[in-house]
Amino acid sequence: MNAVFPTPQSETSERLLSPEELEAALRDIGARRYHNLHPFHRLLHDGKLSKDQVRAWALNRYYYQAMIPVKDAAVLARMTDASLRRVWRQRIVDHDGDAPGDGGIERWLKLAEGVGFRRDYVESTDGILSATKFSVEAYVHFVSERSLLEAIASSLTEMFSPNIISERVSGMLKNYDFITKETLAYFEKRMTQAPRDADFALDYVKRHATTPALQRQAMAALTFKCNVLWTQLDALYFAYVAPGMIPPDAWTPGTGLVAETQTQAPGTGRLSAADVPRLPRGVRMRFDQTRDKHVLLAPERTFDLDDNAVAVLNLIDGQTSVAAIADRLGQTYAADPRVIEVDVLAMLNDLAAKRVLER
Amino acid sequence: MNAITPNAAAIPAPVGLLAELTHRCPLRCPYCSNPLDLDRRSRELDTATWQRVLTEAAALGVLHVHLSGGEPTARNDIVEITETCAKLGLYSNLITSGVGGALGKLQALYDVGLDHVQLSVQGVDAANAEKIGGLKNAQPQKMEFAAKVTELGLPLTLNSVIHRGNIHEVEGFIDLAVKLGAKRLEVAHTQYYGWAYVNRAALMPDKAQVDQSIRIVEAARERLKGQLVIDLVVPDYYAKYPKACAGGWGRKLINVTPQGKVLPCHAAETISHLEFWHVTEHSLGDIWANSPAFTAYRGTDWMQEPCRSCDRREKDWGGCRCQALALAGDAAATDPACSLSPLHAKVRALAVEEAAETPPDYTYRTIGANIPAPNKEDALS
Repeated sequence: MNAVFPTPQSETSERLLSPEELEAALRDIGARRYHNLHPFHRLLHDGKLSKDQVRAWALNRYYYQAMIPVKDAAVLARMTDASLRRVWRQRIVDHDGDAPGDGGIERWLKLAEGVGFRRDYVESTDGILSATKFSVEAYVHFVSERSLLEAIASSLTEMFSPNIISERVSGMLKNYDFITKETLAYFEKRMTQAPRDADFALDYVKRHATTPALQRQAMAALTFKCNVLWTQLDALYFAYVAPGMIPPDAWTPGTGLVAETQTQAPGTGRLSAADVPRLPRGVRMRFDQTRDKHVLLAPERTFDLDDNAVAVLNLIDGQTSVAAIADRLGQTYAADPRVIEVDVLAMLNDLAAKRVLER
Repeated sequence: MNAITPNAAAIPAPVGLLAELTHRCPLRCPYCSNPLDLDRRSRELDTATWQRVLTEAAALGVLHVHLSGGEPTARNDIVEITETCAKLGLYSNLITSGVGGALGKLQALYDVGLDHVQLSVQGVDAANAEKIGGLKNAQPQKMEFAAKVTELGLPLTLNSVIHRGNIHEVEGFIDLAVKLGAKRLEVAHTQYYGWAYVNRAALMPDKAQVDQSIRIVEAARERLKGQLVIDLVVPDYYAKYPKACAGGWGRKLINVTPQGKVLPCHAAETISHLEFWHVTEHSLGDIWANSPAFTAYRGTDWMQEPCRSCDRREKDWGGCRCQALALAGDAAATDPACSLSPLHAKVRALAVEEAAETPPDYTYRTIGANIPAPNKEDALS
């Protein structure tokens, strides 16, 4: 990966910022560091992840969701003002619900079940990446140990979440056949909850960060929280996208899933980089001399192929993985193989959906 | 090719050859697309002639060959013909009923390079299916045949022709396709030409049934994305615009009958004033470029209003010429299936009326049957 991360700007101004300037500075942190900028999220929203990669995300993110009320209870425990607690405790209610079967954690479990997990496996947190756990636990410790201002400021990533959520919901519904509107019910709720929570927290920070030092603490707290989220996606990318190093005891595809009721025909479904694609019997590429172009012949249809498609299909031999095909194309065209890989996967998954390519 | 003619450059090369190898078939489906006047075995082209036709087709630019009939495996030389396709690089598609000798020849067809099998299924319930196909014990043979196709690793398409006798089974056809391991399913509402035109009153479903079948297919497409591709052909009479018949007259498809007549579509012989050329007298390229039947309705010059000035004239090419003749009494008229045709309301009313009546018995497809061609008497104009 050669993704260029924005260099953090100096936030060491000694001057006291006006409340408006402080808000602008906080929003600027989100614009540069919020995890919607992470390559993993781009892949997620654009439909470039395999079903198993989406599962890894849903499973790990459960740990974050499950610990949010613990985090908020720690914040609550530090509030000496009842009126503040009355507002903050709503966050715990939102996540835990008022009764079994209700609340944000429950809705996240529904999402995990929607992508095929058994509920008990998800709740056990057995397959969670240790990097996910470290990040989330660092967040709980942070709000317990730092000032109340910093604890509240660290929650301000909610200012940035409505955008990412609407992008995520529409992207996932469009791009993944296994994602339904019901599966994504969690996000529907958050669309209204997050802005309400963020408005309150932002107002608190603007009123209480009354010195340059306090303002810098608030900004640092929000930066820390962005890193908590970013690091979780780094870990997912490293384990499940590239290089695909899954740590010992972390979830591996096939584990913790409900036995699929409708058996998937062998060789079908979305491909990921590690899969080996092949053209099944009855699908073949040939050069059409009459029309002076390559075509892919398939049952009852003919696909016209451009040069890129021909280059990819020429490398499909039933033994070479998508990643290896991208590597070879990267050498041939002197381009980043991981960038090529995304395009190759999109093309191959399109052919797989039309049932003319298998693995 | 020897068929370089002055206007050949302007004519697109055909992509598909529908090779109707024989009209013989163990089934007697009342919607068969074959003509009412079926060719007898004694008039069928011999092996060498078919091989020459295939060679000419490949040189002309054909990519897909649909080995059809009748039942193509009724021919003793089906394996040789398929092998010729493979040697020429032509994509071979066997369109079969799966009964009679089909199963016995499948392994040999696979060995010589058959590319794809399209199997017809008349119904899901065996008794219903066998009533429609007019052959007892056909269903178990079809199921055994389908199992063998997928066991060999050949891609399988199920083709179900939908009408009022099986429209309640659309969901069942989808389940059956999944169960049999098919990659494609064609849910094709009956097109009312040939035998289907004779049997129209027995076959026409009502609008609510048609709408329901479309909803079922759309839901299944979503549910089975990546596992089963479902092609849906909606019935003309209830449509807003007609289909581009065979992709446009003389644009994509070339059709050779068992006795060697070359047609722009399989029903074209119902237009009795057309002059068809024969593969034993002309090369395929010459026929494609110059035969009167192909030039008659190719392009847009022949069109009348409302087609002539219509924005869609190069999308649907005026619809079906055979249907225009049958329903409007003029093969150059706008297809009355089109909502822009002045006759469209009558066509729709006719469909509604027939669907509301108790269906008459089927007139089964039979070689040598004496059935009056219905294309003039009940034209609507």
